[in-house]
Amino acid sequence: MTIQSAEEEIDRTLGKRIISFARSPLFQGDAQVLHPPNPYRRMLVPDALAEGDFDRPPAAGEWAAHRSLSAHRLLGTFYEADTVLLPEQGLAPLHADFDLFYGSELRELRESSVSALERFAFACLDDAVDVSGAATPEVLDAYFQHVVAEAENGPSPALAAIAAARDRESAADLYLVQLALDGLTEASAMSRNLAGAYGPEQSALFKIFIDEFGYGVYDAKHTTIFAKMLRSRAMATHVHAYWNFYLAGPLATNNYYYYLSRDHAKFFRYAGAVTYAEAVFAPAFVEMVKVFRDIFGDNVDLHYCDEHAHIDEHHGRITREEVLLALAARHGPRVVPELMRGVAEARLIGGWFEDDTAAQIRWSDDLPRHRDLAGTVRLGPEPRRVALTPDSPFGTRSHDDSMVLEVERGEAELITTPTGPPERLARGDAVLIPAGRLYGVRSTAAACDYLLHAVTPDG
Amino acid sequence: MARVIVMDLSRHNTVLVGHDRYFVLHTEGRALLVLDRCPHRGGPLSLARRTPDGRRLSCPWHGTKVGVAAVKRTSLPMVRSGDEAVVVLPDGDDEGGEPISVIRKEVLANLPPDAPCAAESAGEAAGAVGAGEVARR
Repeated sequence: MTIQSAEEEIDRTLGKRIISFARSPLFQGDAQVLHPPNPYRRMLVPDALAEGDFDRPPAAGEWAAHRSLSAHRLLGTFYEADTVLLPEQGLAPLHADFDLFYGSELRELRESSVSALERFAFACLDDAVDVSGAATPEVLDAYFQHVVAEAENGPSPALAAIAAARDRESAADLYLVQLALDGLTEASAMSRNLAGAYGPEQSALFKIFIDEFGYGVYDAKHTTIFAKMLRSRAMATHVHAYWNFYLAGPLATNNYYYYLSRDHAKFFRYAGAVTYAEAVFAPAFVEMVKVFRDIFGDNVDLHYCDEHAHIDEHHGRITREEVLLALAARHGPRVVPELMRGVAEARLIGGWFEDDTAAQIRWSDDLPRHRDLAGTVRLGPEPRRVALTPDSPFGTRSHDDSMVLEVERGEAELITTPTGPPERLARGDAVLIPAGRLYGVRSTAAACDYLLHAVTPDG
Repeated sequence: MARVIVMDLSRHNTVLVGHDRYFVLHTEGRALLVLDRCPHRGGPLSLARRTPDGRRLSCPWHGTKVGVAAVKRTSLPMVRSGDEAVVVLPDGDDEGGEPISVIRKEVLANLPPDAPCAAESAGEAAGAVGAGEVARR
């Protein structure tokens, strides 16, 4: 191989292409913690992205790896670039960003990367889920009803973490933000499976879609009533104000439905996944209403949750009877394993949403103890130094392994939730950041240096 | 009435359903729950050894060679998520009233053809009965 062809090979690697994409001016972030009302700009933390080994997909047990977060931020951006995003205030001041976001340069990078990035991000599902044995429509329904009953009877780890938090309001807001990822663009992935010709099952899916879209009435559209819920909490409602706070699990969950609906070879898997999701939404929203009412009383607009608690009873029935079982009956046993696989994957990835959100709530709610823990662990040599000023772009990230963050110079704020008070760190202060937890640091002094110490395994 | 059981594959490798027994066969990177009965005279295929080419099981009773492909066709519907397996059992004769248990036992059929038996059995309590979670619908 010549030097030139070797360089061309490197340029063709996934890592190189996605770093080229992330280095677009749209994805550099700014000094603000929340993103402005500009759907084209979102912080992809290109420097942290460059750390990831994109030749090594996260395995089933590595879902919390930082490269998983990076990959799902990118994939979410790729997928949303295939939808129409326009700012509520009008495009006039943002037309240059619109041109760049949808322009040929980024589109070519997306199109040349998306399949490899999907394989990278979702390869863990291939290892984690397997469907075997003779599958019939009856087996499919028995399995489906079993896992749905299990979900209905089991507690939501995220809602349990909110209820147990010291700062329940911030914990509840963090949960809302995870829902906002889908809630502000709801049913966009589903829309990809509406086209074509596949009989009565297509019409059944369309019935669900028109509910999501409020029957053409903007005020009834689910995204509109989701924004109403955010507004009642005095939270921003634009796409994607809280981008920096989307966790890897919720990003992966949202991306999963785009992933299945982008490739129609995975249509039956999509049908299984969406049927599972619709079946477990209704009881989940009933539980969410209880928890949120307990915290906020009448000071929160839960119309969105009430709507889902009601309409998803119907969607659960329609998807099971008129999509899942109808597809199995019409198309025979060969499609049943894919339908079952979709159910199983949706269940697994939904569990990641819950566990990741619960873990972030518990950590961010317990930072004083993690300050104490920082002094008890054994640290590796050669910490990494990060220098910030108040003008440094704000971004969030996680680490594959636990780290201790120590302020060496100046002062900073450790930010771990979208609405909770930041944790003030003075010179010499340190805090333990468990593996997989999301955080950002903002300098509150003219200059701030902090150290990132790896925690040794026996530490 | 369909019956569903949940197995922890890190703890259990065998399901007893009435008089039928199924064991977890590892083949081609997958775990399958297959019938533990030789089609010849009903010998325990879980105690069979692989032929040198790895493609057949040699039944311990009469040495009948049973193709792994044929054994795979007896597998019960199972969805594995990590170590958890949800298994849909065949309808029972008495409306699901048969006793069901989930256990760990010695399985030789998963050993390489030339591996000594003790390699697997040393780490296992052969025949020990575990408490699997059994659900019915």
